[in-house]
Amino acid sequence: MPELRKDPIIDRWVIISTERSQRPVFLADQAEVPKPGAICPLCPGNEPMTPPEVFAIRPASVSSPPNSPNWSLRVVPNKFPALRIEGDLNKQGIGLYDEMNGIGAHEVIVETPLHTQTLTGMDVPSVRNVFVAYRERTLDLLKDRRFKFVMIFKNSGSTAGASLAHSHSQLIALPIIPSRLSEEIKGSLNYYKSKDRCVFCDIVAQESEERKRIIYENDHFIAISPFASRFPFEAWILPKRHEESFLSSKHDDNYLSIADAISTVLRKHEKILNSPPYNYMIHTAPVELSGAPYYHWHIEITPRLTKQAGFEWGTGFYINPTPPEEATIYLQEADV
Amino acid sequence: METVRILLVDDEESIRLLFKEELEEEGYLIDLASNGFEALEKLKAQRFDLVVLDIKMPGMDGIQTLNEIKKIDKDQRVVLLSAYMEFKQDFSSWVSDAYVVKSADTQELKDTIKNILGA
Repeated sequence: MPELRKDPIIDRWVIISTERSQRPVFLADQAEVPKPGAICPLCPGNEPMTPPEVFAIRPASVSSPPNSPNWSLRVVPNKFPALRIEGDLNKQGIGLYDEMNGIGAHEVIVETPLHTQTLTGMDVPSVRNVFVAYRERTLDLLKDRRFKFVMIFKNSGSTAGASLAHSHSQLIALPIIPSRLSEEIKGSLNYYKSKDRCVFCDIVAQESEERKRIIYENDHFIAISPFASRFPFEAWILPKRHEESFLSSKHDDNYLSIADAISTVLRKHEKILNSPPYNYMIHTAPVELSGAPYYHWHIEITPRLTKQAGFEWGTGFYINPTPPEEATIYLQEADV
Repeated sequence: METVRILLVDDEESIRLLFKEELEEEGYLIDLASNGFEALEKLKAQRFDLVVLDIKMPGMDGIQTLNEIKKIDKDQRVVLLSAYMEFKQDFSSWVSDAYVVKSADTQELKDTIKNILGA
C-alpha cells in the first residue's frame, strides 16, 4: 500500500510508493563521460577567460599573484550573469504588479584545479576549503545592504544542470528571499509558535532516537534520509546543535565536520548509484533572521534519479519510488 | 584607419544577411559562413579581427566551433550570439569574449563589438 507522508516543516505531501520500491541498481544510470577536447575556462592556465577572482586559496609556501595558475580553489564572478551587481533596486509598483531592477551577484566556486577531480575525490580538508570559501564570500556579499539572502548550490552532472565537468559550485546573492525558503521559514515559525521548539531540532532528536533514517553522523552533524523524502536517496545534513545560519559555524573544526559529512554521503551515493548527477543546496536563515530560535540551517542533497512529470508539476506532490528507510539501509551498508 | 574584418557565422541565411547589412553600416568588412566547418576553413585561410558566432547550428554547434577556433588561435576574439538565454548559464561559453542574445535590434551587438575592438 503506498503511503502519503507529510513534511513536518511545510505542508508538502509525498507519495512513498512502497510496492514499486526500486533497488538502487535500477535507478542508477550510466556515469557521464566528459566531452573530450573542449577548452575548460575553469582550468589553471585559463584564468584570463574568467573575470578576475574575488577569492582564492593558494599555497602559502609559494608566492603567486591573483589570477595566476597556482591555486587550489578559486572564486570568480559569473562572466555572463543573469543579474547585475551595479545599480539600485528601484522597487516600484505598477498597478498590482511589483518590480525592481535585476540586482544580484552570481559567483562560481572552482573547487579544485584538477579538471576531472570530483568533490568525492577530494580529501576532507580540501572539501572544508570549499565551505570556508562559501562562508567568506557570503560574509563579503552580505556587507552589501541590497542583498537579503545568499543561495549556495551545486549542480553536478548535466542532468542536474551542470554544463561543465570541472567541479564547481555557485553562489547567488539576491535582494529577495526565495519563496522556497520563505515557505520553510514560515513553517518553522508556525511549529515554534505552537510547540516552543525548533522543528529541525525535534527532527534531529527523533531521528537520533529512532535510528531508522540515519545515513551517517559525526560529532557535530547528522545525515538523514528525510521522513517525507521527495526523491529517492534524498539526504539532509543538519548540525546536531541548534544553529540558524550556515555562518554560525565559525570554527574551522565545524567546517571540517561538514566536509566529512557531505563527503561521506556523496561517496555513498557515488558507490551505490554509479556516480549519479546531483544537486545540493544550503538552506540557511537570511541575514535579517540572525539568531532565530525556530530556523535551523541544513544542506539538502538530491541525486537526480527520477524525472518530474505532469502530476508533480501540477500538484506539488512528489512520488518517491524508494522509501527513505530502504534508501538508508543501502547507504549505511555502502562502505566508503 | 585599417578596416575591421568580422566573420559572421550563422546557419540562417536571413540572419546572416540582416546582420551583415547592419554591421556594414558601422563600417566593418563582413565575411559570412553558414556553419562551423566553413568558419574554420575561412579562419585558417585569413585573419579576422572578430568572429560573431551563432550557438545553435546543425553539425558542429557554436560551442564546439568556439573550441576549435581557440585551438587554431587562442587570442581570436569571439562574440557568441544566441536567441537562447540558457547558454548563458553554460560555462563553456566563457571561452568567448562576450555573449549577446540574438535580437532584431542589433544595438547590443554593435555596442559589444565596439567595446571588444576598442579594448
